[in-house]
This record gives sequence, C-alpha cells and structure tokens, in this order.
Amino acid sequence: MQSFQFYSPNYLEDALKYIADRKQTCRTLAGGTDLIPMLKKEEIRPDYLLNINEVGELKGVEDLDNQVRIGATTTFTEMIESETLNRFFPLLVNAAASVGGPQIRNRGTIGGNVITNGPCADVLPGIVALDGQLELQSKQDGRRLVSVADVLVTAYETSIRSDELLTGILIQKPVQGTKSGFEKLGRRNAMAKARLNLSIALRQDPNGTISAVSIVPGAVMPVAVRMNDVESMLLGRKPTPVLIQAAADKLVEVVVNTAGIRWSSEYKVPVLKNIFKRVMWRVLAEDPQ
Amino acid sequence: MKKRGIGIGSMFYGIGYGFSRQDIGAATVEICEDGSVIVRSGEVDYGQGSDTIFCQIIAEELGVDYAEIKLITADTLTTPNAGPTSASRVTYVTGKAMMKAATEVRETMREVAEEKLGMQDLMFANGQVFSMSHPEKNISFARLAKATHLAGRSVVATAWQDITTKDVDPETGQGDAYSTYAWASQIAVVEVDTETGKIEVLRVVAAHDVGKAINPKNVEAQIEGGVATGLGYALEEQILINKGIVQNTTLSEYMVPTSMDVPVIESHIVEVPALEGPYGAKGVGEPALIPTAPAILNAIANAVGVRVTALPANLENLHRLIREQENNNKDKS
Repeated sequence: MQSFQFYSPNYLEDALKYIADRKQTCRTLAGGTDLIPMLKKEEIRPDYLLNINEVGELKGVEDLDNQVRIGATTTFTEMIESETLNRFFPLLVNAAASVGGPQIRNRGTIGGNVITNGPCADVLPGIVALDGQLELQSKQDGRRLVSVADVLVTAYETSIRSDELLTGILIQKPVQGTKSGFEKLGRRNAMAKARLNLSIALRQDPNGTISAVSIVPGAVMPVAVRMNDVESMLLGRKPTPVLIQAAADKLVEVVVNTAGIRWSSEYKVPVLKNIFKRVMWRVLAEDPQ
Repeated sequence: MKKRGIGIGSMFYGIGYGFSRQDIGAATVEICEDGSVIVRSGEVDYGQGSDTIFCQIIAEELGVDYAEIKLITADTLTTPNAGPTSASRVTYVTGKAMMKAATEVRETMREVAEEKLGMQDLMFANGQVFSMSHPEKNISFARLAKATHLAGRSVVATAWQDITTKDVDPETGQGDAYSTYAWASQIAVVEVDTETGKIEVLRVVAAHDVGKAINPKNVEAQIEGGVATGLGYALEEQILINKGIVQNTTLSEYMVPTSMDVPVIESHIVEVPALEGPYGAKGVGEPALIPTAPAILNAIANAVGVRVTALPANLENLHRLIREQENNNKDKS
C-alpha cells in the first residue's frame, strides 16, 4: 500500500501551481489505465498525485477555425463519439476504437496515450501521422506548442518538463481529399495490446499521383515516428504494385535498421509488409472525403 | 487473403474416475416438521450449476417446490464426503445419491400417508400427497412431514452411490474402464488471414450426448463455456516459463478469449440414457471443451492446408506454418 497526497483541482491554474512546486515527486492522474497498475505494482512511488479529471478546460473536442483541439483528458469513448473527429480525423476514431475494451475506452485518455508513450500505443501513432502539436502549459512559461514528434524521446519517455502539463492536442484540419487508414493486429479481438498497428494518411492528385503521405507503424519502433524514407519514395509517384512492394520493403528495412532484429522480427517483418500493402491499397481505393 | 474452412472434432470421454479408482457420491436428505427440506452433500458447486441440479432432483423426487429446499454443500462439519468436483462426475454420481436419499425418506413418508389416507396409490407432486384414483384423498406435504415427525419415523436418510469400476486387464488393457461414457461432435467454421496468421472462429455447432438434460439451459451454458475454453486452448492460451518462473501470471498477459472472440455457438442436446445416472443423466463439463480444439485445427487445415501439431495456433505459429508451406510449394515447382 502506498501513501501519497491526492489533489484534485477544478482550475488549470491550481493544477499548474501544484506541479510547479513539486515537479518529479508528483505524478498526474488522467484516465489511470496505465498509472493505477503502475502504482499497484509499485513501479512508481510518487509523493503527490494530481488528478486533472475535474479540470474542465482539459476535456472535449473543439472545432477551431482551421484546426481541431482535443483536450488532454478526452477519453477514447468521447473521441469515438465526437462528430468533429469522425468528420476530420477518422484515423484517430478508428485507432481509439481499437483500444482495450469499453471500460478502458471510458477511462483512458488521449493525453495519457501521449504521456505514457508506450511503443504499443494505438492512438499516438495517428497523432504523429497527422503532425499533431501538443499544447503544454506551465506556471513558469505559460503556454507553448511543440510538435508531438519532437517530445517522444524513447519508449515510456518524453521530453515534456516535470512542471509542465499536457493540456491538449492540436491538429490542422486536413486538406480536401485527404484519406486515411488504420489497422491493428492483436492477439485477440478486445483487451489486447497491439502486436502491430499502422496509421496512414495520404492525398492524391486528380491524376492519381500521391501528393502527400504520412506513414507511422506502431509496436515495432521504440517510439511512433513517420517513415520519411518510405514517404519520399511514394511522393510524386502514381501507385503501382511494384512501387507499393518497394515501399513495403523499404518500410521493414527502416524498422529493422532502427529497432534491430528481435525475437519477434521473424513474425513482425513479413506481417508488417503485408499489413502495409493491404492498408495502402485499401486507402488508395477509397474515395476522398 | 482470408480463407475459410470447416472442421469436425469428435470425442468420447469416461465419466468419473474409472480404472478401479474409488468413486462414491453421497447425500443426506432431511425433512423438517414444516415440510421444508434440508439437503447436505460434500459436493462443491464451483460455478457449473450442480447446486441447481441437486435441488431439481430433490424437488422432483419429493414433489415439493424447488424453493422449499435448503442445500448445504462442502462443509466438512455437516456434509457427507461426496468426492471431488472433477471428472465430470457430479451430476452422474452425487446426483444419483441425492435421488436415492430422497427416495428413502419419501418411502417412509409414504407409509405414514398410506396409514392416514387408507390408500395405496399415492403420488407426491406440487407439495401434495394424493391418491391417483381418488384425488380427494390427499394431505399436504407439510402436514405429512409433521405427522411423520410425530409418529417417530425416520425423516433423515443418507445415501451413497458407488460407481467404482473394475480395473482393465493389465495384460491387454481391455475391459470396462468407466461406468459410462459421454459422446460429442463439434463443427467449427474458421476464417484464416494468411497474411497475418490471425484466426477468426466464425461459428461452432456442438452436439453432446448428456444422457438426460436435467436442466437444458444449464447444459447449453456448459457447452458454451466449454467451447470458449477449447477455443482459448486452441488459439492462444500458453503458460510461458523462464527458468522455472511463470512469466504471464495475470489475465492481461495470459490470454483467454473475450466475448469479442467467441463466436455464435449452436448447441444440440442428444439424450441416450446412462443406466446408472439420475434419470439417465451423465456429465458434460469436460466433454464440452474436448472436441473444440480438434474441430478448429481441422477447420484451419481445411482453409489453408497446414496441419497445426503444437498448440497454441497463435499468430506467430500459424503464420510460420503458412510460410513454410509456401516455401515448400515454391521448392517443388
């Protein structure tokens, strides 16, 4: 049994002051689907626990002019039910729907998915694929925006400062004609961590040429990262079986070069190739929004 | 590519311990003065529903309402040793002991009733004891219980049911190893994703000879639970041990099927009475899961042509077998 001081403010200002004074000795509780098991297993021993679920400013999806803001404590269920996200970012909706089971989706939050930065995160790769920005706030510096890709240091580690709070995720609304695809492979159909997942967003010219593409595999790399080398192979080209096969080969080459050969590579390398090819072809076959 | 296949698994299974191992069920039935019934047995219901079955048997034999029965089980102070809940034996062995004990107290009560009503053709039903030829000659079960108590007659009976078999011939292995056998066939329809090794079980049809379904809903539930267990055994469940230490000690790491993995299960109850069982009933608990894995593995073979010979048929194992087959086919051509 652990003991810690539990603080549950209603206002962001109070939350920021609380962590500013306590820094590393304080942990933040959002959905708790990662944090509570860590506390129970005594993997972490915080002196202070800040509950941010009562802070209204952190909750919900906002349709802004040319971007969408998803509050940090927006749950996966709320994401699935959000009209705005269904309209602009079906990729994130599909990813959120693949998380755990109904109970976990009711508790787990998008902010928690980012902060935990687990290699098998389901929603985080989608945020990276969409070039999401993190809205970080602190008592000292106020509000700052950083690209999500810039804070993911390595598995379970981010460069977000201990006096900073992740308050929201901002994503530019997609250019007309953007399409996306998501697939998750788990050991069972619910309550399963991803063995693999893949998030793809792309756009084609009227003549079929790929004019924008973003590819982020999950559960194969230490952190979610765009596959720039693969994307540049595809950009400005028309999709052909030869091109997609070459891109698939490049994708696993990048993964193996970065993550190395592991016990799971024998399975994951060919299967990632297969999943990439079929998600690509599925997205290419789709009519644009 | 997704490929579908159909497979059949069939089994027979010895009920009880067999092979001369001691196998005795026991129950005590006591009639209280107010007509309520206390039943005691060492047999534990760990979720399979034997308490329900026991109360049904007692209610049937005494003609009393199910709700009038107070059942005390698995209490070493007060209950007779009935042997373990295992070997799919509980209904078959202890269910029969229940029936015997209830019959014994009923026959004592019948003698008292015959004296009181002056009739021989008495029937116990709906909380009443009445003459079949002259229904107006009757007495309530509760009043008869009181009368039996006042007459100083025994209102308690303990009965044992012994199904211990002879051993088989040690030279030839031949003989009647078990008191009875359960039989079952299941058919599974699966879809195999050849690109990932993922298997979706789309449907299972299960036909089980249970002798007599004392509670058909309970039998269906047993079959459904067995199929789900067999599905997990076939596709995912695996204890991972490293240097003697189990690595997956929680249900987030030891994968059992979720409701999203278990398909529609169509149960068919077949009733071929077992001579020694209560009303012909025999066990279904373990038989329900035995044919499932073979049916699924046969369906996989039917879908993609590979034989899984080591469980579980999880993502990695099935994908490896499919690739090995592809490579073999390439070598041949």
